[in-house]
Amino acid sequence: MSDTIARVPQQIEPNTEQILTRTTPRRRASAGALLRELVVSLWLPVVLFALWWFVSSTSTSPFFPPLSRILEQWWSEFIIGDSVHHVFSSLQNFALGYVLGALIGIIGGTLLWRYRFLRQGTNPIVYFLYVLPAPALLPAMIALFGIGQTRQVALIAFGAVWPTLLNTLDGMRGIDQVKFDTAKAMRLGPTRTLFSLVFRGASPQIAAGLRASLQVALILMVVTEMVAAKEGIGYFILQAQIVFSSVKVWAGIIMLVIIGTLLNYLFVFIEHRVLSWYYRSRALGNS
Amino acid sequence: MSDTTTRKAHDDIRSTTADVPGRAPSPVLSVAGLRKIYNEGKPTAKMAIDDVSFSVNKGEFVCIVGPSGAGKTTLLRCISGLAQASAGDLQFEGKPLTSVPEQLGLVFQDYGRSLYPWFTNAKNIGLPLTARGMPKAERAARISEVLSNVGLGQVEKQYPWQLSGGMQQRVAIARALSYRPDLLLMDEPFASVDAQTRFDLEDLVLRVRRELGITVVLVTHDIDEAIYLADRIVVLSGSPSRVREIVEVPFGHERDQVATRASDEFLQLRRHLLDLVMPHPSSAA
Amino acid sequence: MNALRRRSLDLLWPVLAIVVALGLWQLLTASGFFRPDQFPTMSATMVAFTDEFTSAKGWLSVWATLQGWFLGLLIASVLALVIGSALAFNSFAFRSAASVIELFKAIPAIAILPLVTLVLGSTLDMKVFLVAFGIFWPLIIQVIYGVRSMDPTVLDTAKALGVHGARRFLVVTIPSAAPYVATGLRIASASALILAVVAEMIAGADGIGRQILMAQNGGMTSYPRMYAYILMSGALGLTLTGAFFLIERKAMHWHESQRNITSNEEKPAR
Repeated sequence: MSDTIARVPQQIEPNTEQILTRTTPRRRASAGALLRELVVSLWLPVVLFALWWFVSSTSTSPFFPPLSRILEQWWSEFIIGDSVHHVFSSLQNFALGYVLGALIGIIGGTLLWRYRFLRQGTNPIVYFLYVLPAPALLPAMIALFGIGQTRQVALIAFGAVWPTLLNTLDGMRGIDQVKFDTAKAMRLGPTRTLFSLVFRGASPQIAAGLRASLQVALILMVVTEMVAAKEGIGYFILQAQIVFSSVKVWAGIIMLVIIGTLLNYLFVFIEHRVLSWYYRSRALGNS
Repeated sequence: MSDTTTRKAHDDIRSTTADVPGRAPSPVLSVAGLRKIYNEGKPTAKMAIDDVSFSVNKGEFVCIVGPSGAGKTTLLRCISGLAQASAGDLQFEGKPLTSVPEQLGLVFQDYGRSLYPWFTNAKNIGLPLTARGMPKAERAARISEVLSNVGLGQVEKQYPWQLSGGMQQRVAIARALSYRPDLLLMDEPFASVDAQTRFDLEDLVLRVRRELGITVVLVTHDIDEAIYLADRIVVLSGSPSRVREIVEVPFGHERDQVATRASDEFLQLRRHLLDLVMPHPSSAA
Repeated sequence: MNALRRRSLDLLWPVLAIVVALGLWQLLTASGFFRPDQFPTMSATMVAFTDEFTSAKGWLSVWATLQGWFLGLLIASVLALVIGSALAFNSFAFRSAASVIELFKAIPAIAILPLVTLVLGSTLDMKVFLVAFGIFWPLIIQVIYGVRSMDPTVLDTAKALGVHGARRFLVVTIPSAAPYVATGLRIASASALILAVVAEMIAGADGIGRQILMAQNGGMTSYPRMYAYILMSGALGLTLTGAFFLIERKAMHWHESQRNITSNEEKPAR
């Protein structure tokens, strides 16, 4: 079949939180149990952090400076210093590119689901672009758009489209036929069916796609800032590497990790609110 | 509401006239020479239904039974408008049936897959009402009314998956009834619940039919259930289906799970139907 | 329409689509809609492609990329399988490690590229480390997920049948986890390719990414070459991901039969 490739389900990439909710039954946890859970999940990172601090404090290696210095540098650069403009530049490009890519992905995925001829016709192209390593296109983007902000947003958007698009398509295809029969039986009409059934039914999978797109957008954001750029966190880190300032490199990495983690948590927070029906119904199913 | 009281009065009149044999009102559903072939024209063509004819009058309760694979569900899909018949004449309230009619309610066997888990019970039930443009306040009133019809209390704000199987099916029935259809089609609606709940739901459907004066066509593989519920039973033969016999069930509207099922007439009908439905090694079915 | 004709027709669509796409490319570039300093013509790109890949030049770059990809994938997979399985069996160990894994997973591997370059230079080692680091964390999560998500009924059956220890691990746990591991490997292989290309592009290690960047720096005349390498990277992605898709489907073929929900794609013939 011509659309066999896209037929293999895009596995909803589980995170540790999902694994935890799956294997530990959900009970009304006592305060003591919650505290215990917190300690168990936090002791290792705390220990590792402390280890890093103490081991590196006496380090003489140029590549692994003391953690205290790194944190100092990070603070002076990004909190009180003006390197924070790099952060804003990065986030701006990220936001524009991600939203654009996500929208195109969802709309494209819906169109591909709805019109079979479209899907069959574009299947090889879509698949090809999906497996193409997006960073390979960066120089091409430079040729097309110059070295301004447009090129960065363009590449981020390009990369962000595919996971969302394919997961949207897959999510819609995975909706039970019985629900469509029900919609017909209730005479819902095409528009209402699309919004009340198709989007809602596919939303868990679309969310998974959006999550994957988030990761891709983040990576591309950094990549675009490391080639022919003038600002951004990626630029900051690369510049630091060029002048052999490993403390700055580390500081930049830490900034990036913070941003990445915050964005992820924000995403998960919003997702769990919007898809609360999904997570709660699964929790019930597993208890 | 004066609306409901006049309706109830109407229903009383309707049900009494329907009880009188020979005074049949116009049929809600009429099926003549229905035929359904899958993959028509291709080498994999399969005739699921050969020739089925029957009609359903207003206020009647008709059950459709038959051996496994007899195409009962296919039949239901054709008469509901979800599937296109290959040949035959289908009429709903005197008009030819080409798509799902507005005054038709449908209840599927698998409530778990039919109810939308992302909507609350209230939103699920209100979905067809929203599609018909009913304003919000009226919708809310209708939802609580129909929920009490099916014997459910305050479950509006909950989600279907928070309820038990039997309650979920009640929600599904409520959803089908919310826009007051003239005909209720049910496809093995109680096959996925346990026996005790099944009896409760059977009585519920009978009560709903009585109170709302609605016509019901129910497909089931359970002979006992068919006899308990129906006024008439359409017995299908094995695939490709034809109507083997239409059996009259003379119990009237007052039925009791224990008394009715233990009566002699019930047992006679049961024997007769089992004979029709069960495969016989001797006869050429 | 018999099966053979149906199959050949199904094959026709994608071929047609590719032909149309290529034709469109040529049309847009040759007609001047896209200037040659923005987008080279398809014909020029095809010429460059043949140039690069009929000689050893192009393939050397491909080989360099593949080396990094393969070694990084190998190291990360072995580590993920071993450590992941070990963690999965001990609930305490797993719950302790969970937050650390999540934290490291949140680091975009690109971010540590400059650091790794500082330490290891623009070498294959740097590439391998980057690839391995980047794909290890999501992969280990997938391994743990696979091992832990064994159906309790399956486990109970194994116990009831007296299957324990190493035998149970081989006969029950590994097959149960296989689909998840296969999916994880597929995703990891795609990420690995991306990381390899990025390492080449930014840190200047040998490979396709470096060729693409150099071609872009070479200006308008070498754009056809740039796109030739881009196409090659796509072809590489196609082959590698395609191979893993096949593996994944093989590992999942029995698993899929558990999905009893009929897709709305399989329309019953009307």
